[in-house]
Amino acid sequence: MKRKLISGFAGAAVALALAACAGGVAHAANDATPAQQKRQMFLRGAELWPIYCNTCHNARPGGEFSPTEWNMILMHMRTQANLPPQDAKAILEYLKASR
Amino acid sequence: MRGLARWTVLAAAAIAAVAVAAAAMADDMTVSSGASDPGMTQERQIREIRQELKLLEQRVDQLENENDRLRKANAELQKNTQKLQTSTTEQISALQSKVAESPSPEDFLSAMDRFLGRYRVTLVGGAAGSFIYDRNSNINTFAFDMEPIILWQLSDKLLFEGTIEANLPAGGSADYQLPVADFQYFLNDYVELVMGIFDQPFGDWYEDQSPFWVNRFVTAPLPYNVNPLIPPTEIGVQLRGGFQWGQMGQVADYTVWSGNGPGYSNSSCTNNTPPSPLPTCTSTAFVGDTLVGVNNIKLNTHTPSFGGRFRIYPLPADSDWGRLELGVSTYDGKWANGLWMTSWGVDFNYFRDNLQTRGEWIESYRQMPAGLGADNRQGWYVQAGYFLTGLTLPFVPSAANEYIDKLEPLIRYSGINQRAAVLANIITTPEIGFTGSPALYAPHAREVALGLDYWLAPSIVWQNEFDLELPEAGGFYSDTGQPVGAYPNDRAFVSQFAVGF
Ligand code: HEC
Repeated sequence: MKRKLISGFAGAAVALALAACAGGVAHAANDATPAQQKRQMFLRGAELWPIYCNTCHNARPGGEFSPTEWNMILMHMRTQANLPPQDAKAILEYLKASR
Repeated sequence: MRGLARWTVLAAAAIAAVAVAAAAMADDMTVSSGASDPGMTQERQIREIRQELKLLEQRVDQLENENDRLRKANAELQKNTQKLQTSTTEQISALQSKVAESPSPEDFLSAMDRFLGRYRVTLVGGAAGSFIYDRNSNINTFAFDMEPIILWQLSDKLLFEGTIEANLPAGGSADYQLPVADFQYFLNDYVELVMGIFDQPFGDWYEDQSPFWVNRFVTAPLPYNVNPLIPPTEIGVQLRGGFQWGQMGQVADYTVWSGNGPGYSNSSCTNNTPPSPLPTCTSTAFVGDTLVGVNNIKLNTHTPSFGGRFRIYPLPADSDWGRLELGVSTYDGKWANGLWMTSWGVDFNYFRDNLQTRGEWIESYRQMPAGLGADNRQGWYVQAGYFLTGLTLPFVPSAANEYIDKLEPLIRYSGINQRAAVLANIITTPEIGFTGSPALYAPHAREVALGLDYWLAPSIVWQNEFDLELPEAGGFYSDTGQPVGAYPNDRAFVSQFAVGF
């Protein structure tokens, strides 16, 4: 039974990794200028913050921490919530800018 | 006579004049008679004069040249001075305007970054103080607990997280534990490696809901309270990540792990005060043993355990349907040589506007040594909370409405089913999150919890909880063989001030 379970998990992990890569490709293309990209990220972050960051606890506003602290906290929360990379980056951008 | 005299004087004067003139002429003749030929002398003189004139002309030329050079040099000098003056003025005005304008946040941040260096440490975490009352055990006490978290960013991809738990349980001295200490390393955007002691990635409780200020209630639901169905922490490795599969907000995430596995408190050990300290003597297993709370390397060396959790969020962010999370988790590990503990669970979490609900169902199977029968368990909880934000009651003064605005009434129903309990494992010393009620260990424990939270800030809350313990009949104490009796009048009240920082 043990071997079966292990192989089951390995299979699941590979499938997930593949799905993850597919997800990545779909969102990579973007040829806006850096300033435009920043703005897009800010807007995306502003939309996602109340949704993602309210899932487990009350959403903590940008003003509570310095940008340097947000860097670390978002790394922590990205792990905690397994956030997709582009969403984590967008929320970080929003939190740092909305102080 | 006078006429004659006059003539005499005139004649004398004329003679004298002639004499003087002759003398003068004689003088002149002596000078010019120096050269032999007077024409030659004149010519020489003229030549000499001409030469002198030439020399003078040359000198004048020289002087003019010199003058020209000096004039040019002077002009150059003037030009340079002008230039210098302009650039100095420009520099000064640039400096002045730089000094006058405040630095942009980006400039300031990058300057601060340079100042702070590469490594960063932040202290976060939480603290809580409780008043606990339990009617059945006649408990009436205060408790305090603090859980600082150290976040240490070692690079853009590597973070260390360490949690220290320090508490003052009623009547005891301070107690310290290390519930979490791990490295989190992003292998790439979609796969992260976690190594160390971590909260159990099973369901939503240990990892995502247990901190004081995160949990809407003061206590944990029964399957995660003093008699948990799943070990709270694990030592090992995890791979985890999340990705978007549909529209924005439609994401999924996974966590797979391998660790040391479960351990159970052992009622046959005399010096064992479960569930936290480890058994120090040979084990005798009983159906209904409590799981050990904090994992330790000494606890289980039988084989690595493993498990996984998969969660999906089907609702897009742009929709107005709120946020829904659906999850499945597994946990498999040997608790003794050749004996498995396997579990699985499903969970959900939904919120929209002021409403938040969540719930879980867990099944666990523990293989027992021959002759003891199975040790199967089930646990569940459902809870709902509703923020009164925005609610304005017409018949109360506006000052009161301000307070009502910050309230969140809550309700939770949770339960556990297991065949037996172990009397020796029951401890009724209350601590933060535990009221000390023995009913929580009952084989068919049931609890209704009513809560009222007053939110001062997103992570500062005054929580009040009223618990009704309603265990159902059935089951027995496996260590004594007696049937489990009723817990009459078991009601508890907890009031807690919790802060997340
Ligand atoms: C999956 C659940 C979950 C989600 C989603 C989540 N958090 Fe957290 N958050 C936690 C938990 C649990 C803690 C308490 C710290 C701990 O136990 O590690 C926490 C703590 C925090 C803290 C306190 C500092 C710290 O690092 O502990 C901040 C700030 C925070 N979260 C912000 C956010 C933001 C911003 C988001 C949105 C991107 C977010 N959280 C999303 C679970 C979550």
